Amino acid sequence: MKTAAANKKIRSRRSLSKGDRFTLAAFIGLPTLMQIVFLWLPALITIALSFTYWNGINVSDIKWAGLANYKNIFFGTPVFYEALKNNAIWLLWFSFIATPLGILLAYQIDRKIKGHKLYETIFYIPVVLSLAIIGIIWNFMLQPGGFVQGIMGRDIGNAVSIWGNYSINTYVIMGVASWRHIGYIMLLYLAGLKSVDMSLREASAIDGATEWQTFRKIILPTMRPVNIIIVVITIIESLRAFDLVYIIYGTSTAWPLLNILVFQNFAGQGISMKGAAYAVILLVLCVGPILAYLRTTFKEDLK
Amino acid sequence: MSEQDNGISRRSVLKGAAIGGLGIAAGGSLLAGCGSKKVTGDIHYTIRGNLSDAGAKINIAVNDAYTKKTGNKVISQAVNSDDFQNNFVQIMQGTPDDAFGWMAGWRTNSRADAGLLADVSDQVKNLGSSLSDAAVQGATNPTDGKQYIVPTTYYPWGLHYRKSTMQSLGLNPESIATWDDLIKLCEATKKKGLIGYALGDKGGWEAMGTFDILNMRLNGYQFHIDLLNGKEKWTDAKVVDVFTHMGQLIPYMNKNVLDISWDGMRDLLLQKKCGAMMMGSWFANDFKAKSQADYDDLWIVPFPEINPTHGVDSIDAPLDGISVAANGKNVEGGKDLAEFWGSKEGIDAAVAAGDTNIYISKDFDTSSYDAFNKQKLAVLGAAKNIGFFLDRDTRGDFAGPVVGPAIQSFLKNPKDLNKILENTQAQWDALPAL
Repeated sequence: MKTAAANKKIRSRRSLSKGDRFTLAAFIGLPTLMQIVFLWLPALITIALSFTYWNGINVSDIKWAGLANYKNIFFGTPVFYEALKNNAIWLLWFSFIATPLGILLAYQIDRKIKGHKLYETIFYIPVVLSLAIIGIIWNFMLQPGGFVQGIMGRDIGNAVSIWGNYSINTYVIMGVASWRHIGYIMLLYLAGLKSVDMSLREASAIDGATEWQTFRKIILPTMRPVNIIIVVITIIESLRAFDLVYIIYGTSTAWPLLNILVFQNFAGQGISMKGAAYAVILLVLCVGPILAYLRTTFKEDLK
Repeated sequence: MSEQDNGISRRSVLKGAAIGGLGIAAGGSLLAGCGSKKVTGDIHYTIRGNLSDAGAKINIAVNDAYTKKTGNKVISQAVNSDDFQNNFVQIMQGTPDDAFGWMAGWRTNSRADAGLLADVSDQVKNLGSSLSDAAVQGATNPTDGKQYIVPTTYYPWGLHYRKSTMQSLGLNPESIATWDDLIKLCEATKKKGLIGYALGDKGGWEAMGTFDILNMRLNGYQFHIDLLNGKEKWTDAKVVDVFTHMGQLIPYMNKNVLDISWDGMRDLLLQKKCGAMMMGSWFANDFKAKSQADYDDLWIVPFPEINPTHGVDSIDAPLDGISVAANGKNVEGGKDLAEFWGSKEGIDAAVAAGDTNIYISKDFDTSSYDAFNKQKLAVLGAAKNIGFFLDRDTRGDFAGPVVGPAIQSFLKNPKDLNKILENTQAQWDALPAL
């Protein structure tokens, strides 16, 4: 087996024509180059700038700040911890509520329960909308003077406080974000489930496994590649959250998220490299867990 | 910590303009567009706002009048005001439009220091005595003594209300003279089922108006400006006092302060849901756009005295004007257009298009002002010291990212005040030198 694969490898390398080589170089080289120029270079510059004081205008004004921006964020900016908390809530909510719900829905729809086409459509619709549009829709519905308030007979003066009511606004935002996320996960999982061999299920049914046992022992393990994608997507979606909240609250940090802080400190009148430091913190938070996760999963695969 | 020494430039800045404007009525215009060089070529202009806004129509009307006079085409594009402000530095470093409406104070001076704005001192000079010394001083960058904005209009921050609402409640806000009077007024309004003191702070800046006026009333203009420039401490008992007073207003506020922004406040007043509302008069254009009756019903009075030492001697009156991008394609054209905006012909075009702003130019015949504008002038004239509003009187990396959230936190949890103020001071101390 091994030697055959190795032989194949050698053969295929030999058989590369000049044109093939050029195509390969272009296909790998160009994206890599773009990745370096447009992603890694700016990222490295951002990391470097996070250790400076600068107002973003004249390069000659850049001054070394050491760890001052980070010190300021960690020890002097309570809104940072609020943002961290909100991002954490987002992650926990997506991990333990929205994503499992999406998987459950996909599983049910895949079992062709009654009216599954209808459910599929209903849950799929929000997925075609971007979170920014979803923000506009729900802001229009729930804000004072909005549609829902109008139905409840509330005018702007006595509108029910939703976005500004801190005992509920977090849950409302989570609900709105899940509205799309559940459908998104459902869609991904559904695509994965279609590729699960029906005979596996039949076999487990014949062996007398319950639905839950089948799902846990058969479906979930065979869906491994999709699971990895879903975990990564859930983490990324939670940490990069921005547009929905930005549409509702603007740059004011009434309901802060890390990304809103990045934007607030980069844009507008108050450009400072505290924004860069926030961006670096966010980068570390995003990349750290994902790398760790992928590493452990692939390690198991290699075994 | 470097400190901006704006003390002189802000003092008594516009008083002269207000009184001069009242005094010299039909002075006649001699000055419009007397630049020596003939300016040619298309000029690009940014309108801050949506094309459908009342303000955009006024912008276009003035630019059309300029085209008619000089033959130079003005190409106007509307950009969302928040986006324009958020991306200002990037826009100015790229290929910006030549001229745009802008705000005097920190927002002009700091960007001028960075070389993003063109020097319009010649244009201000050309407008000459039509601009009061005080207005010119207000538009002057303290760093180099030059102007980077042609001042055109300004407006007072004060207590706005609808005459009809107050009448039906049997109240007269014009008679309120003290803090107790204001609280009584709010109480009486609340008893009738209306909002006593309308406030929205979702945008994070709206409540700064209330903070500014309370600080100026309680502690005086000088303390206010010193506080905003780091010469006084946020942990000072005087600042605690300001927030204590703001806290006394909370029971009379709408219950959804953090749900609505300035436009929500405007709608509360427009829909007769509230008594008093602390806001800059610029929103009056929207009242006029709604209907003349709504506009005629609108009135403004100065915020009442709290501390007799300071009386009602100070007010927030932001100065607006036209700035020219240093990197524009037609800088001379931009400057010429800016000058036109400040001239009598420009003002006439704006007024004909429905502008309710009040003008700095003494060439403008203030006798043609409607009752509301005359009242605005009276409110301005009552003040000796003019502030530009918190986010123009202090550094941009302090106003939005620090003070805005601090006031929001206070409105959320007034009990946390001491912690909030300690933290605000700590964040000022952590700012890099300018």
